[in-house]
Amino acid sequence: MGVLENKARARLFYKYLSKVYDQVNPFIWNEQMRSEALSLLDLEAETTVLDVGCGTGFATEGLLEHVDEVHALDQSEHQLEQAYEKFGKRGPPVHFHRGDAERLPFGTDTFDVVWSSGSIEYWPNPILALREFRRVLKPGGQVLVVGPNYPDNVLAGKLADSIMLFYDEYEADRMFKEAGFEDVKHLFQGPSYDPDVAITTIGRAPE
Amino acid sequence: MNESLLEILCCPLDKHELELEDAEYAADDDEEIVDGALSCSECGERYPIEDGIPNLLPPDMREETPA
Repeated sequence: MGVLENKARARLFYKYLSKVYDQVNPFIWNEQMRSEALSLLDLEAETTVLDVGCGTGFATEGLLEHVDEVHALDQSEHQLEQAYEKFGKRGPPVHFHRGDAERLPFGTDTFDVVWSSGSIEYWPNPILALREFRRVLKPGGQVLVVGPNYPDNVLAGKLADSIMLFYDEYEADRMFKEAGFEDVKHLFQGPSYDPDVAITTIGRAPE
Repeated sequence: MNESLLEILCCPLDKHELELEDAEYAADDDEEIVDGALSCSECGERYPIEDGIPNLLPPDMREETPA
């Protein structure tokens, strides 16, 4: 159990992190990685997309290069404040909601695509959240989740475990299949100096 | 939030429909809700709409931690 898996601690952590997040963020999750991940999805202007854990809106911005509107959800109002500044508080193009990834406030079969980047590592029970993603996806809809790849180095691994959830390809495969996704595939991503720092997983809700 | 979003929103706890209560609309848009609450038709839990943003955090997560 990492320290950030307690949601109250996660909120406090994000309150302070949000102040510097977009300055720090490009080193681990940059525009090139975002474009690469976006290319894995079937996106058209009318596609209905949910961005879970939208934070300051970095992925939301990329999604809006492909679709007209995005539904964005985050638990932290401090992270959302940064996103409001980018897109305006009132939709379209972005419809903001405060909510919990594990208990989504959306009806069954609502979205064509559910995206979540840089959020799964803070969910206490990732499979619960992934099952919720599957529930709100239309049959055949696509899920894409970007999370931190488990470090190869033993010491870094121990440090990682103490802070938050990291997982490898096998663990990701198990989680997505247990949540009921099909066609589950993984892609390792990262900047040139650390090319497999992130693991991106895509899958489909059953037809 | 636009009133049409009510069609896709539900109670995060039991997934039943939400009913709009005490709605106040934007002066320049009669479909844009700026204040009010969403109340679950099943369990009765109320979710506030704060400055146009629906706060659909479950009640155990709604309180901000004192900083």
